[in-house]
Amino acid sequence: MSDSAEKFTVELLVSNHYGVLNRITGLYARRGFNIDSLHVNETENPQRSRMLISSKGDKYIQTQMVRQLSKLHDVKSVVLMTQSTV
Amino acid sequence: MKLNGAQIVVEQLIKHGVTTVFGYPGGAVLPLYDELYKNGGSIHHVLTAHEQGAAHAADGYARASGKTGVVIATSGPGATNLVTGIANAHLDSVPLVAITGNVTVPLLGRDSFQEVDIVGITQPIVKHNFIVRDAKALEQTLNEAFYIAGSGRPGPVLVDIPKSVQSDVCEYTRERGFFEEKEKPNIHPDDIKKILSALKTGKKPYIYAGGGVIASGAEAELRELSTRLSAPVGLSMMGLTAIPDDYALNLGMTGMHGKYAASVAKSESDVLIVLGARFSDRATGNVEEYRADKTIIHIDIDRAEIGKNIHPHIEVCADVKEALTKLLAELPVMQNDEWLKRIDELKNEEHVSSNDEFNPKNIIEMTERICGGDTIIATDVGQHQMWVVQHYKFKKPRTLLTSGGLGAMGFGLGAAIGGCMANDSKRTVLFTGDGSFGMNLTELSTAVSQELPIIIIILNNGVLGLPRQWQAAFFGERYSCSTLNRKTDFAALAKAFGADGYKAEDLSQLEKILLNLQDKTPTVIDCAIGMDEKVFPMIPPGGSIRDIIVKE
Ligand SMILES: Cc1ncc(C[n+]2csc(CCOP(=O)(O)OP(=O)(O)O)c2C)c(N)n1
Ligand SMILES: [Mg+2]
Repeated sequence: MSDSAEKFTVELLVSNHYGVLNRITGLYARRGFNIDSLHVNETENPQRSRMLISSKGDKYIQTQMVRQLSKLHDVKSVVLMTQSTV
Repeated sequence: MKLNGAQIVVEQLIKHGVTTVFGYPGGAVLPLYDELYKNGGSIHHVLTAHEQGAAHAADGYARASGKTGVVIATSGPGATNLVTGIANAHLDSVPLVAITGNVTVPLLGRDSFQEVDIVGITQPIVKHNFIVRDAKALEQTLNEAFYIAGSGRPGPVLVDIPKSVQSDVCEYTRERGFFEEKEKPNIHPDDIKKILSALKTGKKPYIYAGGGVIASGAEAELRELSTRLSAPVGLSMMGLTAIPDDYALNLGMTGMHGKYAASVAKSESDVLIVLGARFSDRATGNVEEYRADKTIIHIDIDRAEIGKNIHPHIEVCADVKEALTKLLAELPVMQNDEWLKRIDELKNEEHVSSNDEFNPKNIIEMTERICGGDTIIATDVGQHQMWVVQHYKFKKPRTLLTSGGLGAMGFGLGAAIGGCMANDSKRTVLFTGDGSFGMNLTELSTAVSQELPIIIIILNNGVLGLPRQWQAAFFGERYSCSTLNRKTDFAALAKAFGADGYKAEDLSQLEKILLNLQDKTPTVIDCAIGMDEKVFPMIPPGGSIRDIIVKE
């Protein structure tokens, strides 16, 4: 990981369905990124869950993760939170 | 109307315009096969010899037609046999729907007979996949599957359907099930301004075009852009048929085994316009080369590809055709004679040998002369594949079926079968190697049973040529396990399958065979070539244009 690695968190709205967590963590594993913390909650809408995933990475990794996550069919929205955005 | 799951699958296939499917039956898909039997008039099921062949055939069918290919397999071993075919479609962005059977719902998760978690196995190599545990979800799931496979950047979708779901009865609406479609990205007017200004500043524009141009049907727009800008076009392997070979500014393939002029011009360019391509390592080489003095404009439908390998100065996430249409509406002609002159010079520097030896180039060129420009060409993987993509003069989009991203030996014959069937069973050519052909030659039986006039040209060098070339270049000529020492008589083998088989030892023999082919019979032509023929040019992995090797 490069020097400019910082803590970043993505907030995801996903389908509330078995197997979805697997698809998401699989993306992290494939690029060799460790997940530092992970929260999953059912939302006000029972068809959706909200996930918060914290990890470390530079700008490149942050952008890649957001874009790769957005591609997943079960991911409805992605918000990136970093030191500069929160 | 009340239907069982299997009937719903068949109705949905018909609704989505499917006329041909490839597959192989087994216990967990028997209800589905029973419905296919009853609906034989609407859907032609092609029984292959192996599920891998069926997957490659569905892939080849999709590449040639632009439609979504469909493959069906049973649970367990049937499903695992699809894996290479699905990965292949994934890496080359081919729209494919794979339907697998599974054990009945109560038996799932108990290591039941022929149960595998195919959704888990294929998760990293599909655009999306589903297991349908309730017949009521089947209609909508199949709508989603076809939508996902064919929209945006196409790709494979697997739908796993337990046997009990195939026989459960529920209401079929024939209406489009509701599901959320992802937002369609498009080019922004500000992007157009930025691109126009980059093009005005630049003196040496170059277009690097990939498979996305073909997927979006932007061939005419690509050519217009090139003409207006005096910009040469270099193609990725997946983009190869996007522009006809005889177009003056088409420099052919770029990358590791790309053409000399295509690579040098790319390196000299100051504005690089990337269309529907993903800078794969094989097409890109040394990434530093792209940071230097070039303005890079990247247009692709998949946002995750933009900036993944090469960081562009201007990024546009959009369908290539839509983006180019809008750009062309504002783009003036920027005639650039000096750059055109330089391109001409480079084209003249291209190393060409001409003789009448029985070598790969001459074999490929003779086949092209005799079979003409519209023929669908499939390849396997190896040196022969590189020679085909270098020397065959493609004239029409979707006439090349080749395994680009996965580089899967054994792809060719299945793909040729699918491509041939997508093209009214017209003559189709497969160039294969003695190694690759050995992987899935059992599909000769399928080509025979379907009466397909596929010409199979084996560039038989007696070796695994591509590994051998690397062993010669990088491993001190230690040819570890790359010499085949087989005594296969391919002509006799072809005859054993009920196909025609010949051996050709010079160009005049080959010509005679090619001019006397049967209409409904596959033909194998075993062409003996030297084991030390090499693929050139070659830019070693991670190398730049300074490292290009043009001949031995
Ligand atoms: C399924 C698979 N296994 C291994 C490889 C590695 N590989 C790439 S090319 C090649 C040799 C291909 O031999 P052949 O089909 O005879 O083609 P040639 O290079 O001799 O033209 C091998 C083993 C591969 N691409 N695919
Ligand atoms: Mg060989």
